Amino acid sequence: MSFPIYEHKVSRELFDRATKVIPSGVYGHLGPAEGNFIPVCDWPLFGDKAKGAYFWDVDGNKYIDYMCAYGPNVLGYCDKDVDAAAIAQSKLGNCTTSPSRITVDFAELMVDTVNCADWAFFAKNGNDVTTAAIMTARAATHRKKIIFVNGFYHGVSPWTQKIDYPGVIPEDVANNLYVDWNDFEALEKLVAENEGEIAAFISTPYMHGNYRDNETPAAGYWQKVRELCTRKGIVLIVDDVRCGFRLDLAGSDHYYGFEADLICFCKAIANGWNVSCLCGKESLKGAVSSLSYTGSYWLSSVPFAAGMACINKMKEIDAPKLFREKGLMLTNGLKDAAANNGFDLVVSGEPALFYLRIANDDSMMLHQEWVAECVKRGIFFSSHHNHFINAAMSDKDINLTLEVADEAFKVVAANHPELF
Amino acid sequence: MKDPITLTDSKTMAYINMYAVLGTLENLCEIDPVASAILSNQKPISVGFDVAGGPKATLYFKNGRCRMEQGCTDCDVKLPFSSCEKFNGLIDGTVTPIPSKGFQHIKFLLKVFTPLTDRLSALMRPDPEDLKDREFFETSTKLMFYTISVALSQIANNDEIGKFSAHLIPDGEISFAIKDCVAATIRVKDHRLVTLKQKCEKPRAAMEFDNLDLARDLFDGKVNAVACIGEGTITMKGMINMIDNLNRILDRVAIYLA
Repeated sequence: MSFPIYEHKVSRELFDRATKVIPSGVYGHLGPAEGNFIPVCDWPLFGDKAKGAYFWDVDGNKYIDYMCAYGPNVLGYCDKDVDAAAIAQSKLGNCTTSPSRITVDFAELMVDTVNCADWAFFAKNGNDVTTAAIMTARAATHRKKIIFVNGFYHGVSPWTQKIDYPGVIPEDVANNLYVDWNDFEALEKLVAENEGEIAAFISTPYMHGNYRDNETPAAGYWQKVRELCTRKGIVLIVDDVRCGFRLDLAGSDHYYGFEADLICFCKAIANGWNVSCLCGKESLKGAVSSLSYTGSYWLSSVPFAAGMACINKMKEIDAPKLFREKGLMLTNGLKDAAANNGFDLVVSGEPALFYLRIANDDSMMLHQEWVAECVKRGIFFSSHHNHFINAAMSDKDINLTLEVADEAFKVVAANHPELF
Repeated sequence: MKDPITLTDSKTMAYINMYAVLGTLENLCEIDPVASAILSNQKPISVGFDVAGGPKATLYFKNGRCRMEQGCTDCDVKLPFSSCEKFNGLIDGTVTPIPSKGFQHIKFLLKVFTPLTDRLSALMRPDPEDLKDREFFETSTKLMFYTISVALSQIANNDEIGKFSAHLIPDGEISFAIKDCVAATIRVKDHRLVTLKQKCEKPRAAMEFDNLDLARDLFDGKVNAVACIGEGTITMKGMINMIDNLNRILDRVAIYLA
């Protein structure tokens, strides 16, 4: 069959209004620049509504959404159980002078759920808790330096950025050291060169950086890192903001067989209700308690109720197993569709957060064309970032995705007769 | 010498002044009738610039055209500079050079070379009134494009922050262009950049401005590239991490050329 091609007239009108009152229209990762909308005319710029595995844009076009709001949509948009819990709590109160008792319930649930957690500290965004983790590590060790893995993303605070970013000064990143992913020998060398000066090693559980094939940890990598950090008094921070709960409800460190000292959660914690959480070991509870670090909405109780409902439901349905199965079904089908049309589609990372790249050229241009052809037909993929599976995604959705992907491959192939 | 606020340094500035600013004389002589007139009837001659601790290059003038090559061992007139700061003073108009070779060509320096650089200055730092003339505007903007294209590579190879951006750019060629107007190729190899003032035939990444007016506004800081991408007036494709890091160097260009 031939799928209809979407148009974005209303999106464009709204964007034109937006640019007058909002810097760059839509800023950040949801916007056309950071979102790599290539070409921009093929992409929706604003959404109208969302339910389950789908969202509809302001032109009425429906999408099967494999970006899941870049992660928060984990059970399906507007999940009835999560939203019911949030609405019930909202009738009792949300942002109140005295924090709700549910704060304790949620912290207990996090400690019971997350393998390495002895306590839970709540905030709003991933950046809030990665920053809390770094401050905690420095407070605990009285050291300055932090080791990052090249290709990292840990948020937007100046310490997470690079020296050439607008608004960042050299002093912001003066104590940042860098090492390649999976290179334990280089890490060991860097630690030796900075003996007694490293406060923390911060890393995602596997390398899911943009514009590159994602890489899972080499056998024994994390265990060696854990031992090194323990031996050298370095706080081991796992940034599980993106992967958290999609690989393992006990934390991605548990999934890969080690224990973090501090672990950061956000995206999948409450199915879109805004809360993030830093969990850690008992030995660091005093350090995190000592921080002068808080926010107006950090102890709002409505997201806590949503988070409890979300985590309990993920446990009931064994969400990580489901994500892996659906991710494999989809990505195996995509690889077959690609091969049937003469394309080499590389799938990398974990199936729950798969990353795609057409390898027939070295410029990503073919890949960007294919992704755009999919988006124009209602399959919301990304050309530069890993994707996300959510629990509302059905086999029927996946099969429809494969049909659209096949047509999109055929269109790209027809546009490039020189390749075949 | 490094500026403590902007972290710009005089050596990088000298490389920009040599290859991006003086190097734009190549394009000036090609597209500007005023410059062509200045060069008419000029016999072939070459002028070398020898900057101690900095760049060395020679401008060759022949048949009404100009080209720049690295090195200054083979030139008719040689202008030595004891430091990058002194050479930058030549471009700022605060230093008058004295040739160490080719005194007999002093007339060329005074009657041809100086008017050419004055013309370049008029186009590169134009009076707002002059820009109302469309032909002047187009010539000025095209020259600015070439200057910026070359400055990108000089900053990537010399400036400390520029080098940080460059170390994140993989090998390959980037197409940098104004649609249906002018184009440059930024060639990246082992994190060193070279600008070729020609269309890129096989880019790994491409950034294209929709028209001269948009490019001008961007160069003048009147519009923002991120906003333009959303509006569709700047298009990008390919290895966006190449473009992303090139844009960070572009931010440094604005600081150096301010």
